[in-house]
Formats: sequence, C-alpha cells, structure tokens
Amino acid sequence: MADVRLLSRAILAGERAALSRGISLVESRLTTQREAARMLLKHVLPQRSASASLRIGVSGPPGTGKSTLIEALGGVLLDRGHRLAVLAIDPSSHRTGGSVMGDKTRMPRLAADRRAYIRPSPSQGTLGGVARRTEEAALLCECGGYDRVIVETVGVGQSEVAVAGMTDMFVLLVPPSSGDGLQGIKRGIMEMADAVIVTKCDGQLEPAALSVARDLRAALKLFRPRLRSWRPSVMTSSSFDRESTLKVADLIEEFHATTKASGDLVRRREEQALRAIWDHACAEVLERLPSIHGVDELVRRYARESATGDTSPSLAADAIASYVLRSASHAPDVGQS
Amino acid sequence: MPPSSFFALMRRPSLRRSLRVQSLCTASLPDAWVRRASKELKGKDPLSLVVNTAEGVPLKPLYTPADLPAASALQADSIPGEFPFTRGPYATMYTHRPWTIRQYAGFSTAGESNAFYKANLAAGQAGLSVAFDLATHRGYDSDNARVTGDVGMAGVAVDSILDMRELFHEIPLDKVSVSMTMNGAVLPVLAMYVAAAEEQGVAQAQLAGTIQNDILKEFMVRNTFIYPPAPSMRVVADIMTYTAAHMPRFNSISVSGYHMQEAGADAKLELAFTLADGLEYVRTAVHSSGGAITVDQIAPRISFFFGVGMNFYMEVAKLRAARKLWAKLMKKHFDPKSEKSLMLRTHCQTSGWSLQEQEPYNNIIRTTVEAMAAVMGGTQSLHTNSFDEAIGLPTDFSASLARNTQLILANETQIHATVDPWGGSYMMERLTEDLLAAAEAVIDEVEALGGMAAAVASGMPKRKIEESAARKQARIDSGADVIVGVNAFKPAAKSAQPAVEVRTIDNQAVIDAQLRKLRALRAERDEARVEAALRALTDSASAADSSGGGNLMGLAIEAARAKCTVGEISDALERQWGRYTPSFSLAGGAYVDEYGRNHEEIDATIAAAHAFEAAHGRRPRILVAKMGQDGHDRGANVIASAFADMGFDVDVGPLFATPEEVAMQAIDADVHVVGISSQAAGHKTLVPQLISELRRQQSDAMVVCGGVIPAIDYEFLRERGVAAVFGPGTRIPAAARSIINDLQKQLAGDASS
Repeated sequence: MADVRLLSRAILAGERAALSRGISLVESRLTTQREAARMLLKHVLPQRSASASLRIGVSGPPGTGKSTLIEALGGVLLDRGHRLAVLAIDPSSHRTGGSVMGDKTRMPRLAADRRAYIRPSPSQGTLGGVARRTEEAALLCECGGYDRVIVETVGVGQSEVAVAGMTDMFVLLVPPSSGDGLQGIKRGIMEMADAVIVTKCDGQLEPAALSVARDLRAALKLFRPRLRSWRPSVMTSSSFDRESTLKVADLIEEFHATTKASGDLVRRREEQALRAIWDHACAEVLERLPSIHGVDELVRRYARESATGDTSPSLAADAIASYVLRSASHAPDVGQS
Repeated sequence: MPPSSFFALMRRPSLRRSLRVQSLCTASLPDAWVRRASKELKGKDPLSLVVNTAEGVPLKPLYTPADLPAASALQADSIPGEFPFTRGPYATMYTHRPWTIRQYAGFSTAGESNAFYKANLAAGQAGLSVAFDLATHRGYDSDNARVTGDVGMAGVAVDSILDMRELFHEIPLDKVSVSMTMNGAVLPVLAMYVAAAEEQGVAQAQLAGTIQNDILKEFMVRNTFIYPPAPSMRVVADIMTYTAAHMPRFNSISVSGYHMQEAGADAKLELAFTLADGLEYVRTAVHSSGGAITVDQIAPRISFFFGVGMNFYMEVAKLRAARKLWAKLMKKHFDPKSEKSLMLRTHCQTSGWSLQEQEPYNNIIRTTVEAMAAVMGGTQSLHTNSFDEAIGLPTDFSASLARNTQLILANETQIHATVDPWGGSYMMERLTEDLLAAAEAVIDEVEALGGMAAAVASGMPKRKIEESAARKQARIDSGADVIVGVNAFKPAAKSAQPAVEVRTIDNQAVIDAQLRKLRALRAERDEARVEAALRALTDSASAADSSGGGNLMGLAIEAARAKCTVGEISDALERQWGRYTPSFSLAGGAYVDEYGRNHEEIDATIAAAHAFEAAHGRRPRILVAKMGQDGHDRGANVIASAFADMGFDVDVGPLFATPEEVAMQAIDADVHVVGISSQAAGHKTLVPQLISELRRQQSDAMVVCGGVIPAIDYEFLRERGVAAVFGPGTRIPAAARSIINDLQKQLAGDASS
C-alpha cells in the first residue's frame, strides 16, 4: 500500500488534488478500495488537530438560501484567516442515471477562491452510507488543513438528522413564510439546532422574516437545551446585508469558544462517536454476516425445517446468533482480512 | 377515427400532449378526403400524416375552408396598416421599396470593423448592425485579466470613445441607422455612440437606430448581463425615459426572441416570452417615470427581433401572430391613444442553430429558405447568416453571399410585390390563430406569476426553454428530425464538400492594439473630470431610481465625453450593485424522455456508465464548464442534463470562469473529465491554459471540447492535450460512450503502469 502512504503524505502537506483523490477513495463503492480507504484514514488521522477545527452542518428546505448564506459566510471566514471546506450533499440531484451538481454555480465567489475547497457529492445509496462517506470526507478535509468544514444538505427528511449527528454545530435555515411556516419544520429537527437562521430578511419579506424569528424564539424556549453551556439562538439574515453575515460568523466563533471551554464540544463529539461506532458496527456486522463460514448453510437448513414445522424463524435466528458468537470467540478478528 | 388507431396514437407521448387541439382539427378533415387518402395510403391512417409540431400546434395534411376563422374575423384583419396589424404594420409594406438589409457584423479592432462596414454600405447594405466582443458586453476593458481569450473575437473590442470614434469614421451617423446589440454594458456603449456622433456634429435628436437593451432575455438565455435583475431593470427604464425625451428617432429597446430560439425555444415559447418581455418593459418605463411619460411616448420606440428557423409555415405564422397579439395585448393593458403604440415592428435574423458544420455549403440553402419566411412574414429588416458561421467568423466572401441572398430575393423575385402573400390561406390563417392561442396561454401563465420580471426570477421561462432545447436535441440525435448531411443523406467520403476557410482573429494583436489605445486615452484625459463623472454614476446607482441621483443615461454620456472607459463606467455601477452570476437549475429527464427511454442506444450508454462504476467504484464524473465571457450556455446545459440522464455524475461550474478557476473546480471534485463548451472562439487561448494548469497541479483529468470550433483547430487542440473535440452535430450518446471508452483505456493504463 505504498500509494496510500504517498497519498496520505500529500494530503497532510495540503495538496488539494491529493485531498480530492482521498475523498474519491473513501466514497468508492469497491471493496478493494474500501480497504485502501481504511489504511488512508489510519495514516492521516493522528495528524489531525481536532481541537482547532469546527464542523458546521447547514440544512434547510430547498430554496431557503443555503448556498447564498454559505457563499457570504464563507467569504467572512476566509477573511478571518480560516481555511474553509464545503461538502455539499444534494439528495435532490438524484436522476434516473447519474446526477447534476450545480452547487458551485450558487457560490460563484467561493468557487473561484483558492482558499476554499468545494466538493459536491452525489448522494447515492443508503442514508447510512452517505453519512459514513461524508464523515470520512470531512475528516480528510480537516487533515488537509481545513479548520472550518461546512456540511451542506437539503432538508428533505432524514438527511439533516444524519448531518447533525456528524457536525459540531448544527445550523438550521428557515425561509420567511407567513403564518403556518413553522409547522413545516419538524420538531425533532428544531431540537437539534444550535442556531436557527431566518433567511431573506429584506425587502417585502422582512416583516414575515421578523415574525417567523419571533415565533421560533418562543418555540425554542420550550425545548431543553442539548448542551449545558449553549442556548440555541435565532437570527435573521439577508444576502444584501453584510452585517447580518458577520453576525452569523460571530455566532459560529462564539459557539466554538464557549463549547470548547466548557468541555461540551468534546462531550458532544464523544456522544456522536459512540452512536456512529454502534451504527457502523451494526452495519458492518450485517454486511459481513452472510459470508461468515457456515451461516448461509445454517440459514438454508433452518428454512427447510421451518417449512416442515420442526422449528420457527425466530428460534432459528436465535440459534444462528449463538452460532456466530461461538465462532467469534474462537476467532477474535472476525471478518478482518 | 377508428378506436384502434386512437389508442395507438395515445401511446405516443408527443401526440398525447396535443390531443385536445388534435381532436378539434380531425373533425375538420373532410370525410371525402379521408376516404381517398386511406386508399392512397393503402390502409394507413391519414391521421398519421398530421405533423405534431414542437409548439403543440398540429400541422395537418389538408386545410379547407372549414379551418378558416369566421369571415367577420378575417375581414377585421384584412387591411395591413390597420389594427390589429396581422398583415403588416404598414399599408404598402415593401411593394414600393425593399425591406432593410441589415447585416450584423463586427470583429477585431474598431479600425478593421469600420473598413468592413464601409465596404458593405458601398455594396448595397442599408443599415449597420454592430457586434461587440464579449469583454465589452460584460463591461470589462480589454486589459482586464478575466477577458484575455475574448477580446476582439466574437465582435469588435470597444473600450472608450476612441474606439467608437474609429468605428464610425467616415460613416455619417445622421444618415445611416445603426443597430447595436448591447445589453449588459448598454450605458457606456450607447453613451459613447452618442458622444462619437456629437464629435461628428450630429445631435442626439438626429440619431436613428436601435439599441437592444433587452435585459430580461439575458437572464433567460444569453447571459451577457452584468448586474442583478432589479438594478438591470432600472438601467432599461433610465434609457427608455432618456431616449423618449432626447432621442425621438432612436428605438430604445429591441425585444428579442431570437436568442430564445437559438437557445432551443420553439416558436410558441419565443413568441410568448418575447411579447411578455415587451409588456414588462412598457410597464417599467411608464411606472418608473411616475406617469410623467405616457405609453405613447414609449411604445412606438420599442422594436422587436425574432429568429427565423426552418419550419417555414410556422415562422410566417409566428410573425403574423406576433403583430396581432401585440396589438391586442397593448390595447388591453394600456389602451394607448396613438395607433403607433399598437404596431409591432420587427427585425429578423435567420437561425444560427440551423446552420451545420457538416456539408456547410448546404447552409446557403437553409438561410435562403429562412429569409423567404422572414420576408413573407413581413419583417421590417433582415440579417441573413453566412454559411460558415457554424465553423467560425464569416469571411468577406461568405458575408457577400449572405448579403446577396437578400439582394436576389429583393430584386429578382416578385415575393414582395404583394403584401402578406400568405394571408387568406386556409392553412396560414388556421396556423396563425392556433399559434396565437398557444402563445397567449403561456403569456397568461407569466402574468399569473406577476409579469415577466417575476417570472424570470422564478426561473420558469429558462426552465421551459431548456427543456424545449433538450427535446429538440434528442429529436435530432434520434433521427426523428432530419438534417441533411448530418443525421441523414451523409455524403460518401470522396464527395464531401470542399473545406471552408474561416476568418481568424489574432487575439493577441487586438489586445496589444487596445492596450496602446487605453494608455493613450489615460494620458490625454482630465482625471478630475473622470473621477467626478464616475462618482456621479455611483451616487445615482445608490438611489432607488433616477429621481434621486439623476438619469444614468445622461450621467453615462457625460462620463463618455470625459473619456471614461467601458470598464470604469461599469465598475462605478458595480460598486453599488455587485455582479450577478446565475445559478444552474435544470429539470432532468427531458433528453432521455424525448429520445425514447427504451431506445437501444440510450440503454447501451447507461450500461456503459454502469460498467464503469462497477469497475472503478464511482460513476464517470464530468465537469461541464464554460470559460471566458461567453455566456451561451444552451449547449453546456443540454450536455449536463443529457449526461446525467445517461448515468454520469455531472458538476456544473459558474459561468465566466477563468482557466485557473475551472482547473481548481475540476481538481476539487476529482472529476475524470472536463468538458469545455465554447461558442465564441476563445478556445485557442483558454483551453491550453486550462490543460497546463491541470497538469501543473498533478491532475490527469481528461479534457474534451465541444461547441463551435472550426475543424482546422482540432489538430491544434489535440497537440495541446485535448482528448476529443465534439463538433456541432455530434450525437450526445455517442460522445458519452466515446468518453467512457477513452477513460477506461486511460485508467487501465494507469493501473498497469
């Protein structure tokens, strides 16, 4: 695996072509490349400076102005000396065959700025798979020296839950719609937000945006804060008003400083890791189960016996679990090739 | 209709769409004819002869008196020069003199273009039509680093009054009417024209001509805007009100459907969106003046500009329907006092889309047919394309053929001896009414969104046009639409037409010349006056409208006199308004739907993409990019959409990128391929820069090119590392498979090395 070692050195040296190849590697669906991806992560992770970096999830319904906000916010973060990576996952890009990723056209200035790294990803496969690949891509960006990583996703269902579960700060964008707007946002997603930003607060929409912000503040008071040191706040923003972007950037930095000092940041990361490890472990076991020696044969045998009434599917499953665990105790490195 | 054939028809989606109209017209196919036709067709259903046009308006094999509108309606339309002007804006039309032959041209430096104009005027051309280069369109001076590949390429480079002076040297501007295709940098360019005329001793009030100044369609299709939509509309309004007060002979706006047709819109969409644009401009001007300017001061100075393609009857019907519908809409919305406010006057240009790179001499015939449709449709002026424009810039020879096409029609035929020769034809009257109704329905949709500015902001027109473009491309690629010499009747190898010569522009020489002039300009001007003029522009831009800081047109003229450059004037406004970059939004599936989802070739392409994914762990990934100031993104959009439909992951980058930016985006997304779409001749400068930048940063991404690239440049590009050049007429699935093949080879090579 000499290639992987070279690649990891180049990523750590900050070469963007290497980072890009690394991300392609962790996104690959070939089992052979999966192994190389693991090696790569093992090589680079020890060099990552976790305490300096902040991962920000940005989510919201289609047309809320996520890219517009990221374009403006990104510019401010770069001007403050940060290095910014944007990972854009767009489930709406799904097509019959492939996908179209037009994110960069909505962030023309960032897309032309050498200090920023923008990587849209086609969201293919299961949500768990997308989450795993995005998390690994974010790790590689951090290893490549990007201390601010924004993970952008369209809020259509479960994807924001996944994003909230892998980012340090979850920012929810809400459009300024009148009256029943808030009912469209699921309570569970609101609860996860560390900051809620009502966008397009300008011109004719300004009164509506301010009113939505008021309602949100009232609603957020009813939730128990997820962190001891941080109360989620509600802001309004306008792409025409640089001041509002500066305030969002300030809020992000304040979040970072506060939660780092209180220990909340490390605790959140640990909780997230705990959940992620369980998720990945379950997924891995599930994926490898059929290939464990003897399992396939046992399943077939029990199926025949279930059909004739000698056993039942639930009894059979219990027996298979026992079998797997017995063989695991003999071979501690289950499935590791 | 027998039930079996009805259901057979229902299964064809294109027919299903127009079934409502269809069933209306089948009722009017006379039984006697249907019986005879069935016999002649040996049992085949005569209904299968109905052409289902892209417009959703059926074109029937036979029209009879039953298809005619009511006699009273025909009578009401019968006099040209009278409301609703269906038959023409003037009573005599071109029975006593020909229409205006107005050829669009401009390239290289002002000096070279001036020589070309003077030669054309001497050879029988009546008016001028100036093509500016893309740097000028987008408000950049020739010394700006973003425009290196664009200066002087697709039009003439104009940076200041010095260039404008040279452009019209020895051309009397009080006698020759000048049309200028300018939308983005409309303020500095029109201002410099006015200032150049003043130097000739010609007052503003004497100037006759047209400025395109049609910004709405730029946001839909052409993309040569500078500022965001709202301030751009302020510019339009300021120009309309300024010219209404000071330049009574000048058309302050040329509402253009041409670019919509070029971008793939069918006649219905072109007609509807153009007239809806026109309504929006009248509204804007009347409202922004706070009632000080009436519709009758504005409307008569609005002219139109349509494209004319190969669907002969449809194009004639489009011009007839346009006049009638405009008159109707203007009456309904504004009820003007002057009849001139109801009259649609138009320029036409033959279709650039219909020109083919293969067998290019055939384009002479295409242009002739289109020119006939424009003349029979009653156009006021006409540009006929040169046959070599799918390959490169016209030469003196090809330009003379294009002009002669019109001279022959005007002098050797009797086509214009009678007004509206198709009037009264069963077919033409029916088609005019059907097309008018179809366009009116689209206009209603636009009005429901709050008018065209709001509709453009919603993205609806752009989406409809892009979908129409993808469908059109699919019909050509699948062979449903025949193009002689391209997808049918291809010549044998030995009998191919001789190669054509194209005009080549020495980009670097033009830049050098422009830089010298800019230096001279800056040396001779009064900097304090320059500063003051620019500050006045910025101040006025910061006000909501011209009542605060003064009319921008007036201020721009002062800036032109003060020898400010196009770039400086544009920057003065940009400081306040910012620059606009459009985002990409394209509904998928249109290409594959029209092609036929189960078509063998599409299946094979998707299978190849899947095989690639199985072998390499991800789909083939392509960045579709445009470089330089060339905003013609129809080709790029169709490619992006179709490639995604066929199993690629497609990245789309922002328009107007530099080679360095495209390289960075390609590297960030780790694409396998970068596809460069070039329509404006910048490829020889920009593509080699892109490749060297990619390689410098250790990217081995394959680079392919498409668009308008002369065959003689293929070798040049290949030598500099371009893997493939896909010229006009390339079928998209074939290009996709060839790219996958090349990639497989390249990646296999990497693995073994």
